[in-house]
Amino acid sequence: MSEDKTLTMVTCTAPANMAVIKYWGKRDSDLILPINSSLSVTLHQDQLKTTTTAAISRDFKEDRLWLNGEEADVGHPRLQSCLREVRRLARKRRGGGDEDAAPLGLAYKVHIATENNFPTAAGLASSAAGYACLVYALARLYGVEGELSEVARQGSGSACRSMFGGFVQWHKGERPDGKDSVAQQVAPETHWPELRILVLVVSAEKKQVGSTAGMQTSVDTSPLLKHRAEALVPERIAHMVQHIRERDFEGFGQLTMRDSNQFHATCLDTFPPIFYLNDVSRRIIALAHRYNAHHGCTKVAYTFDAGPNAVIFALADTVAEFVEVVRRSFPPAPNGDRFLQGLPVGSASLAEELLSAVVLEPVPGALQYILHTKPGPGPQLLDDPGQHLLGADGLPRGSA
Amino acid sequence: MSEDKTLTMVTCTAPANMAVIKYWGKRDSDLILPINSSLSVTLHQDQLKTTTTAAISRDFKEDRLWLNGEEADVGHPRLQSCLREVRRLARKRRGGGDEDAAPLGLAYKVHIATENNFPTAAGLASSAAGYACLVYALARLYGVEGELSEVARQGSGSACRSMFGGFVQWHKGERPDGKDSVAQQVAPETHWPELRILVLVVSAEKKQVGSTAGMQTSVDTSPLLKHRAEALVPERIAHMVQHIRERDFEGFGQLTMRDSNQFHATCLDTFPPIFYLNDVSRRIIALAHRYNAHHGCTKVAYTFDAGPNAVIFALADTVAEFVEVVRRSFPPAPNGDRFLQGLPVGSASLAEELLSAVVLEPVPGALQYILHTKPGPGQRAGAAPA
Repeated sequence: MSEDKTLTMVTCTAPANMAVIKYWGKRDSDLILPINSSLSVTLHQDQLKTTTTAAISRDFKEDRLWLNGEEADVGHPRLQSCLREVRRLARKRRGGGDEDAAPLGLAYKVHIATENNFPTAAGLASSAAGYACLVYALARLYGVEGELSEVARQGSGSACRSMFGGFVQWHKGERPDGKDSVAQQVAPETHWPELRILVLVVSAEKKQVGSTAGMQTSVDTSPLLKHRAEALVPERIAHMVQHIRERDFEGFGQLTMRDSNQFHATCLDTFPPIFYLNDVSRRIIALAHRYNAHHGCTKVAYTFDAGPNAVIFALADTVAEFVEVVRRSFPPAPNGDRFLQGLPVGSASLAEELLSAVVLEPVPGALQYILHTKPGPGPQLLDDPGQHLLGADGLPRGSA
Repeated sequence: MSEDKTLTMVTCTAPANMAVIKYWGKRDSDLILPINSSLSVTLHQDQLKTTTTAAISRDFKEDRLWLNGEEADVGHPRLQSCLREVRRLARKRRGGGDEDAAPLGLAYKVHIATENNFPTAAGLASSAAGYACLVYALARLYGVEGELSEVARQGSGSACRSMFGGFVQWHKGERPDGKDSVAQQVAPETHWPELRILVLVVSAEKKQVGSTAGMQTSVDTSPLLKHRAEALVPERIAHMVQHIRERDFEGFGQLTMRDSNQFHATCLDTFPPIFYLNDVSRRIIALAHRYNAHHGCTKVAYTFDAGPNAVIFALADTVAEFVEVVRRSFPPAPNGDRFLQGLPVGSASLAEELLSAVVLEPVPGALQYILHTKPGPGQRAGAAPA
């Protein structure tokens, strides 16, 4: 008879993702079922990742949660949703082999610690990476295998897309019970080696309308959103899948920009209207269009979520020049942190013609920094016990 | 036999109008036929008007045009369109009475001078008032009567709505020749005596995308605009007519705000996207929503055209308080021109509760001035030489 382990611990990492065909609006708020399908690019964990350690022990008195070292409310309904779902799936799969993790483990309390390798305040990677990581870790802990995106979805809609690497589609689904509202990989992260992403982190601003409340108001009040979801997105998804499969950057880029704009258009058609794009966002958009016009084709494509940060897609041979264009247009504030982070960027000198056509009056200090990354893999299980965020006592380890 | 008059001169004035159900997009660029109907409120000429004098004389060597005192290009296609159309209608109607104006007048050259009683650079009253005025003056000159909104429309779409006072609908029309694409009065300017308008003139900014090019790009690239025109506007027009007839400010105000936002949404759905609302515009929108929320009903309604100026609708008993709210939120720059112009505004003191709920951090100098006006009549004509 195998001994009861005192403590079982698992650590995973999960990525952020950026939608190129946007999710905005639910048809079911409890199960988090969307009014339209969406499609995203998973970002590389070397630059953006969430790490989560989950541990169960018969010695734990209650469920507890730490976010970036600070204890947080474990009673959060979405977190409880995920916990409940994973435990339910674990119960279903009991009676497997000898090795099922802690048969009594379902009754034990769980301790969860999670950390991001990027500043939370920057408004990056929302809750997608966090919930994806949590679900992945809990599933490993409880020995649950198979389809997990459905569980992640119930924590945060976009989290289901973070369950896979590369290019991922979240199928809207038709069933009321949401069992067919799942994510699926369209192409792996290795499919398009030249594709790069630049995240332009805009300087901190006052709090915007949260996504959950915002999209509900949009569903309730915007006839343009209704039309988008019913009549426009299905075709866009099909086209986007094709552009990706064919590595057609012109098509991919144009559709990405149009879909970002259409999403923000539906926010403006909401009542009261929601404005996520600010002055800097609009300048970035105008800059991208001038840059593309100058080159006579789509070289960069912008997309914006429910916040001011810009995510720019480009091919590798465009990055150096465009980063220099951005630097000239939005000069870093002096004594700021490193302005360019992530993957290395080569140097580039700008032709006078390009400068005068594309770079207009500079706006110093408008960007906090630029993060250079690329498509990356889905969640990972860490083997190294040194990576655990919790100690053997189930409490967060002291910071290094 | 009447003598050939050496000079025949007519002076007219015409109003500006502000659309509450927006026109954006043509199905025919030559005839200026819109993809959807629109509905506007004609603004009072005491505050905003264009004055046009048109004269024909056998002594004139060529057509000439002066805008606000400066000579301008009379060859402008839209102007030529209007001129051509009015002359065509005049030819059709020859053979009327003894009094038809200058039977040979159709061959004479025309001199036109036009002036606004408000600064052109402020982006107010676009070309609507101008073309409406021109068409009306030319029609008087050539003795053309009857349906003129069709002619004005060919100068500038929204000009046809300036041909009437009060509340005006521009029917989209179905005919390819545009003969049924005309404006019609929904209710006269006397219909809703309590209705007021505040034009918040935003400080000058760099040139935006012009309407004509902008709406063409929208028609070409925005699927949301297509849906708006086909499926959403007809019902909105019907509702708006009802709100106006019933003097239902709650309904009128809400629909006005929603339609302004939807128009700007279709601009954002255009490719490349068009942004007419700027930071100040957005602050005004947020201010209006806070003010209405504070009062628990729709007290003010904003609408924006293809530019940053805000047009606010309110009932008369709201004006004083809201003007004070605006003044606190956007304090005038010192040594500026008179900040409040047009109809008088009473004074108002703001309750502390309202202040803390509604007026957030002030943005000095964001507004050039506020113009207080109300619905007004269509053209007036004076035949005496200016």
